[in-house]
Amino acid sequence: MPTDAGSTAPGASDFTYSGRFGPILRLALVTGLITLLTVGIYRFWATARLRRYVWGSVRVGGDALEYTGTGLEKFVGFLFAVVVLALWLGAVQIVLFLFGVVIVADPRTEEEAITQALALSASSLAVVPFVFFAQYRARRYKLARTRLRGIRFGMEPAAWGYVWRALGHGALTVVTLGLLLPRQTFALEAYMTNRSFFGDARFAQGGRWTGLYRYLRHVGIGVTILIAGGVLTGVESDFGLFLVFVGYVWAFLGFVHYTVQSFGWLARHKTLAGGVGFDARPSTGRVIWIGFQGGVLITILFAVLAVVFIAMIAGTFGGAMQGGGPPPVGALVAIGVGYVAAFVLAGALATALISQPILRHYIETCTITGIGALDGIVQRAHDRGADAEGFADALDMGGAF
Amino acid sequence: MAGRVPSALYDGQTARRHVVGVEVGQGALVLHHADGRVEHWPFERLRRISAHADGRTFTLALHSETGDEVPRDPARLVVSDAGLAEAIRRAAPTLGRHDLPRGAIRRVMVGTVAALGAVALILFGIVPMLAATIAERMPRETEIAFGRSVVAQVEGFLAEDDAPLACEGAAGRAALDRMAARLTAGRTLDYDLRIAVFDHPMVNAFAAPGGHVILMRGLIEAAQGPDEVAGVLAHEIGHVEARDPTRLALRSAGSAGILSLLIGDMLGGAAVAVAAEYMLTAAYSREAEAAADAYALALLAEAGVGAGGLADFFARVAPKAGRMPEYLASHPGIAGRADRTRAAVAAPTAPILSETEWSALREICG
Repeated sequence: MPTDAGSTAPGASDFTYSGRFGPILRLALVTGLITLLTVGIYRFWATARLRRYVWGSVRVGGDALEYTGTGLEKFVGFLFAVVVLALWLGAVQIVLFLFGVVIVADPRTEEEAITQALALSASSLAVVPFVFFAQYRARRYKLARTRLRGIRFGMEPAAWGYVWRALGHGALTVVTLGLLLPRQTFALEAYMTNRSFFGDARFAQGGRWTGLYRYLRHVGIGVTILIAGGVLTGVESDFGLFLVFVGYVWAFLGFVHYTVQSFGWLARHKTLAGGVGFDARPSTGRVIWIGFQGGVLITILFAVLAVVFIAMIAGTFGGAMQGGGPPPVGALVAIGVGYVAAFVLAGALATALISQPILRHYIETCTITGIGALDGIVQRAHDRGADAEGFADALDMGGAF
Repeated sequence: MAGRVPSALYDGQTARRHVVGVEVGQGALVLHHADGRVEHWPFERLRRISAHADGRTFTLALHSETGDEVPRDPARLVVSDAGLAEAIRRAAPTLGRHDLPRGAIRRVMVGTVAALGAVALILFGIVPMLAATIAERMPRETEIAFGRSVVAQVEGFLAEDDAPLACEGAAGRAALDRMAARLTAGRTLDYDLRIAVFDHPMVNAFAAPGGHVILMRGLIEAAQGPDEVAGVLAHEIGHVEARDPTRLALRSAGSAGILSLLIGDMLGGAAVAVAAEYMLTAAYSREAEAAADAYALALLAEAGVGAGGLADFFARVAPKAGRMPEYLASHPGIAGRADRTRAAVAAPTAPILSETEWSALREICG
C-alpha cells in the first residue's frame, strides 16, 4: 500500500496561513498578563509561545513550519547581552570623559551645550553598531529555530560583516539624501539572504538594486509636494501648509509602499538550491487598509474604555469627597489594575487585528515554484543560536513576532 | 480506526516526504515503510510538536536527548487522520509534555549567576575604580559644571514647585561668607567654595563636585550656635577638598546608567535623578569620613573654634525620637567620632560669628 510519493502534497505551490483571530488574541492576552505580573521576565517565554503558534500556522506546500526556540535560551541570551552592552557603554563613557566630554544637565555656556550634545549623540551613536549586530543575530536565531519537514533553516555567523555594511550603506543613503536607499535595501537583504540556508541548500538573492527604484516614486512625489508646500508657505501660507500636510502623508504612505513592494520584489528574486523560486505579490493598499482599520477599531474601543474609566474615577473620588472619607482601597486597586490591563489589551488587539492579518496577507500572496527540488535537501547541523536574540531584546527592538 | 493509515513522515535526514503506513500497536506506534522496513515509536516518547488548524490532528516527534534547543529527535510524523490522532491521544498520555533539555536548569542558574556576578563586578569594582580615576583627571571647569548640574538636580528633586531653593538674604549671605572665610583663613583651597543655603526643612548638608557645599535651612535651625554650623561646614569642605563628591557622583551616575540598561531605560534620564538622590542619602566610605573629620578638626582648630560644637550638635539631634536626622543617616557613626574629637581638641576660644551675624544667618531664608 504506502508508496514513496515524493513532494506532491495538495496545493504544493501555495503558502497558506491558518492562524485565527480568537486563539492569537487569547494567547497574546494571557502571555501579556503573565509578562505584566512577572515585571517583564516572562516576555521571552511569551515570544516563544506566540511564535510557536504563528509558525505552526504557516504552511508551505501543505507542510507547517515549526518554531523550536525556547523562552529559556532567550532569557539567558538577554542576560549575556546586557552584560556586554553595560561593559561597552561604560567603555564609551570613559573615552568621552578622557576627552573631557561630560553630560551636563544644566548647560550655561554655549561650549557646555555643545559638549553635552556631543556626549549625548556619541553615547547613542555607540549603540548603533549593536543595533545592526542585533538585527543580523535576530534573523540568524529565528532561522536556526525554524524547521520545515523536520529540516532546519540556518544562517552563517557573519553579524560583524553586516554591521560594517549597514553602517557604510546607511551613511551613503544619508549623504545622498535617500537617493541610494534602494542600494542599501538590496545590499543588506542580499548579504543576509546569501548567507541563509534551508538544510544544506543555500538561498541566493538575484536581481539588481536599481530594480527597486520604481517603488520609491511615491516617496519622491510626497517629498516634492512637501518641499513645494514649504516654499509656498512664505507666499500663500494656508495653501502652503495644506500642501505640506498632503506631502507628508503622501511620503509616509509612499514609504509603506516601498517597504511592502521591495519585500515582494526581493522575494521574487530569491532562489533556493538553484531550482526553487518564489513569487510574492503583496498589495500596498491591503496592508495600509488592515493597519488603518485595526487602528481605528482599537482607538474607538479605547475611547469607550477611557470614558468608562474616567466615570469610575469620578465616582470613586467624588463619593469619597462627599462622604469625607478616603476613597475605598478596593476601587483604587481595581482602577489601577484596569489601567495597566488596558495596555496589555491594546498590545494583544494590535497583534490580532493588525500584525497577524498583515502577516497573513504577505504569506497568502506568496507562492513557491519548483518545490520538487526540496526533496534532495539534507539536514544541517544544530546552531547554538549565540545570544538567542538577546541583543535585540536588550535594545528593545523586537518586531511584531 | 483499523489497519494502517497512510501518513507523511520526514525522517529528519532529508526534506523528502515519505509515506508510511501507521498503526497503533502494543506500547508503540508502528510505522511501515514502503520498502518493508518497520519502525516502532514508543508511546512514552511520543510528543506533539504542533497542533494543526483543525484542532484535532497534529505533528509528532520522539523525545530524545539530541543536544538541540529542545530534546526531540529530528524526524517528524504528520498525523492528518482524525481517527488515528484520537487513537494516539488515548494511547500516549505524555503527548503534550514539555521536556527541558538535560542540564537546562543548571545552565540557567550558571547564566544567571554569571550575569549577576558580572553586573556586581561592574557596579562594585569597575565603576568605583573608574570614578576614582576620572575624578583625579577631570578638568576643573568640567568638575564645576558637573557639580552645578548635580546641585540643580538636587534642587529640582527637593523643590515642591519649580521655585529656586537658594536663600538670598544679604546679611545672612555676608555672615555665611564670613564663616567660610574664617574657617579657611590661612589655607589655599584647591577649589573656590560655592556655599549656598537651601530653603528646606531637612536637617542635612552635602558637598557636590567642584567646590559646591549646600546647607539646608533645617540644619541651621536645628543648630544651637554658629560653631555647630561651622563644624558641619568644615566637615563638608573636607569632602570637597578630597574630591569625594566628584567620585561619588560619577560612581552613582555610572551605576545608575547600568541599572537603567538592565531594567530597560535607554534614555538615561533616570541616571541623573538617581545620582542626585545618592548625593542626599548615600554614605561616603568610612575612610573618607574619617579624613573629612580630621580635616574639619584642623580647620576648626586653626580658626580657634571649638570642635565641641560639632559634637554637641550631633549628641543633641541624634537621640531625638521619631525622625532620624538625615545628616546622621548619611554620615553614620559621626556622633561617636565627634565624641572622641571633643576630648582631643582644646577648649573653644571665640565663637565663629557674632550674635548679630548668627541671627542674620538664621534669617537667610527670610
